[in-house]
Amino acid sequence: MKKLIVIVVIGTFSFLTLSSEETNAFESTYEPSSSGDILIENARILTGTGSEILSGSILISSNKIRAIGETLDKPINAKIIDANGKWVTPGIIDIHSHMGVYPAPGLRSSSDGNESTSPVTAHVWAEHSVWTQDPQMPLALMGGITTFHVLPGSANLIGGRGVTLKNIWSRTVQGMKFPGAPYTLKMACGENPKRVYGRRNSEPSTRMGNVAGYRKAWIRAQDYRNKLAEYESKSEEAKELEYAPTRDLELETLVGVLNGEILIQNHCYRGEEMAVMLDIAKEFNYKVTTFHHAIEAYKVADILAENGVCAAVWADWWGFKHEAFDMVWENAAIVDQANGSTGCAIIHSDSAVGIQRLNQEAAKAMAAGNRSGLNIPPSRAIQWITLNPAKALGIASKTGSLEVGKMADLVIWDGDPFSVYTKTEKVFVDGVLLYDNNNPLTPKSTDFELGIINSEGDRL
Amino acid sequence: MNLHKKIFIGLLSLLISSFSLSEELLLKNAKVHTATDRGTLEKTDILIRDGVIVRIGKNIASSRADERDVSGKVITPGLIAPLTQLGIVEIELVPETRDDRSDIYSAGLSIDSAFNPSSTLIPYNLTGGITLSLTSPSSSGLFSGLTSVFSLSGSLEESLISSNIALSANISGGEDSMAAKVQLLGDSLALSDSVGLNKCLEMDLNKSFLPNGVNYSCRDLFALKKVVDKEIPLVVRANRASVILTLIDFAKTNNINLIINGAEEGWRVSRQLAEAEIPVILQPIDNIPNSFNELGSRLDNASLLHKAGVKILIGSHETHNAYLSRQGAGIAVSYGLPWKEALKGLTKNIAEVFKIDNRGSIQPGYVADIVVWSGDPLEVTSFVEQVYLSGESVSTKNRSMRLKERYISQ
Repeated sequence: MKKLIVIVVIGTFSFLTLSSEETNAFESTYEPSSSGDILIENARILTGTGSEILSGSILISSNKIRAIGETLDKPINAKIIDANGKWVTPGIIDIHSHMGVYPAPGLRSSSDGNESTSPVTAHVWAEHSVWTQDPQMPLALMGGITTFHVLPGSANLIGGRGVTLKNIWSRTVQGMKFPGAPYTLKMACGENPKRVYGRRNSEPSTRMGNVAGYRKAWIRAQDYRNKLAEYESKSEEAKELEYAPTRDLELETLVGVLNGEILIQNHCYRGEEMAVMLDIAKEFNYKVTTFHHAIEAYKVADILAENGVCAAVWADWWGFKHEAFDMVWENAAIVDQANGSTGCAIIHSDSAVGIQRLNQEAAKAMAAGNRSGLNIPPSRAIQWITLNPAKALGIASKTGSLEVGKMADLVIWDGDPFSVYTKTEKVFVDGVLLYDNNNPLTPKSTDFELGIINSEGDRL
Repeated sequence: MNLHKKIFIGLLSLLISSFSLSEELLLKNAKVHTATDRGTLEKTDILIRDGVIVRIGKNIASSRADERDVSGKVITPGLIAPLTQLGIVEIELVPETRDDRSDIYSAGLSIDSAFNPSSTLIPYNLTGGITLSLTSPSSSGLFSGLTSVFSLSGSLEESLISSNIALSANISGGEDSMAAKVQLLGDSLALSDSVGLNKCLEMDLNKSFLPNGVNYSCRDLFALKKVVDKEIPLVVRANRASVILTLIDFAKTNNINLIINGAEEGWRVSRQLAEAEIPVILQPIDNIPNSFNELGSRLDNASLLHKAGVKILIGSHETHNAYLSRQGAGIAVSYGLPWKEALKGLTKNIAEVFKIDNRGSIQPGYVADIVVWSGDPLEVTSFVEQVYLSGESVSTKNRSMRLKERYISQ
C-alpha cells in the first residue's frame, strides 16, 4: 500500500522534474487522413535542401515522401499528376504568424494575442487564444502555407509560449498542433514593452529597464530550477515528509528554456539589442533560436552566424517605428551570406496579407541580394521560407524540405514561385490535397464563412 | 581675371544658357509601355525637349540630344501614388514626425506648408518607381482634409505640382452610426453651399444649422463648397457593397464628383459603379475580411470591376512602401486584370481622375517623368535603374542603400 502511495505521489509530481512531461496537457491530436500513393512527374523541383531538379518526380506514399529524383518507377496504384511546366517546392512555413490569436475580422472580442497586463507573462500560451475558424488560415493555405508558428504579441518582455500548427481545418487547436514540435517562448526587445509599460509609469520604461526585466526573470527561473533539483535529490523517505515545490506555470516555462526544451523566439529590431540579448543568453546559459523582425540583422550578421542564431525578417517593411528605420532590401541576403554563407535567413510575415505570398517576399529579398552582388539562387532563397524556419522551430527532421521520409508537405506552383504572376495550383499537407486551384470546394471554408454574405453559400 | 578669361567664361555661359533653352534627351531602343492606347512599343526611342516628351518612335535622330542607350530595358511613365502621406509622415509611431492629422481644421486642412521634400521616404519611393504623390492628410474625423500633388524630386522649392485637388472623407469606424455620418456629410455640403465668404465671416455657424458638437471654420466650409461646385472630387473610404450604393446615390442627389477609396466589396456593385462613372482606388493586395464592412474582400476584385467598366486606380495601403502598389497591380493581373489596365491604374487613370494635366502617360506634349526598369515593372524581381523627372536624370540612391553599402562588405 505504501508503495502504491509513493507511485501515486511520484505520478502526481514527477512533471516538476521533467518539463517534457508537462506538455502532456493539450497534446496534439492531429492525424492526417490517408494520402494514398501519388506520383508527381515532370516537375521543376526546388528541394529545400539547396538543390534544384530541372525535371523530376516525387512519390508520396502513406503521407510521407517516399522517393524523389529525376525518374521514378510508377507504382501500380499511384495517382499520377503531370506537373510539366510547373514547379514544386516544400510547403511554405511562416515562423511568425498571429493567425488565430489576431483573427479576421479584427475585433476586440477576439483580439487575444497580447496579455499586456504584466511585462513577464511566461505562463500564458498562445494556443489557448487560437480561434480555429479564423478565415485567414485557408487564405494562407492558398498561398502555400502548410505550417505556421503562432506567437503571442510583443507587448511584454516575455510574452508567453508560441505554438506550431499544421494549416488544416480543425474544430480544436489540439487537432492542428504539429506533432512533436517543441514549444517556443516569445521574448520582445525594444520599443514595444517600454512603450506599453512606460505609458503606465511602471517598469520597464526604457531599454535598460527591459534588460533588467529579462535578467530578473531568468534569476527567478534559476532559483526555481534549483528548488526543483534540490527536492528531487532527496531520498524517497524525505520526499514523503514534505510537499514538492508548488507548480509555477510561469517558471515552468522559463525552466523549460534553461533545460533546452523550449526555443526562444525573440522579437528584436536593433543590432546592438540583439548583441545584448545574446549576452543575456550566455549569462543564463540558454540559446536564442531566432531574432524576429530583425530589421538590423545585416549590421550583426557575422555575430548571428557565429552564434548559430537565425534572423527572421521582412523583405521591405520599415518606418512604422523608430527601431524599424534602418531597413535594407538586402537584409536577408546579407544574413544568408555571412561567415562564408553559414548564416540562417528566414522571411516571415507577421501579417495575414504577407503570409499569402511569402514566395514573393522571398523573391524581392533574393533579387535585392543578387542586384548587390550576392549570389543567391532560387534553390537557396526557397530555404528562407521552408527549411530554415523548420530548423528554427525544431521540426526540420519532419518537414521543410523534400527528402525521403519527411512529411509530404509540398506545393505545386503554376510557374516560377519567385514571380508575382505565379499562383499555387495544389497544396498538400501530409500528402493530403487540401487546396486544388481546379476544385472550387477547396480550401474548406471556416465555420465563420458559411452563409456570411450569401446565406446559401460560403463567403466567396 | 584677364580679358581672355572673361570672354571665355562669357561665351561658355552663353553656350550653357542657349543649351538649357532647348535641352534634348533621347532615350534609345527601350521597350516602352506608354499607358496610352498605343500600348507597348518594342525597341522604341523617346525624344524629350525641355522636359517634355516630343516624339516617340523608331530610329529617332537628333544632332543635339544627349543620347542614352537603354536597349533591353523597360520604360514606363513615372508611377503615381494615390492618397499617401509621403512628405508629411516620417515614422508612424513617432507623433512629432507626423503632420498628417489635425483637430483644429477638418475639411479645410491643406498640408502644403508641412510637406518635407527631404523626407527619407521620398528618395526611397522614387527608387521604387514613384514620381508623383497625391499626399493627403489622414485625420480620422468625418473629413480628413485636402489632397495636394507633389513631385518626388526632393526639390525644396519646386516639389508642389498642384494644390488642394481633392477632399477626403471617412464614414466608417468610430462609435457613431454610419447613417449619421452620411447625413452629416450632406448637411455639411448644404451648409457650405448656402454660406458665402462674407456671410461666413459674420454668422455664428455652429448654432445655425449643424448638430451639437459639430464645428466648422470658414476655411472648412470653403473646402466643402469646392466639392459642391464640382471644382474638386470627394474621396470617400468605403468597402461594404451597400455603403458604396448609398454613396453612389449621395453623389447623384448632391451632384458631386465622387471617388471611392477601398471598395473591397466593389465587385458586388460593379455595374452600378460603372453606370455612375465613379472611379475606385484599390489596394489589390489586401483580401482580408478585416471587418464586417469588407467580408467580401477578394483578390479578383480589380479584374471584376474592370470587366464591368469601372475605372481603376491602384495604390498601396502603406505610405512607407507606397511603391508596392506595383506588386498589388501584379497580383491583380494574376487574378485576371489585363496587364495594360494595371499599368494605367498606376499611372494614367490616376492623372485623369485627379485632373493632373499632361502627366501619367508617355505621349507627345506630356511631362517627361519616366522610369527605366530592369524588366517588367509589375514583377517583384524587377527594379528601377534610372528615373527622369521633367526630362532630367535624377539620383536613384536612398538612405537605405547607403546603409547597405556600409555593411555589405563587412
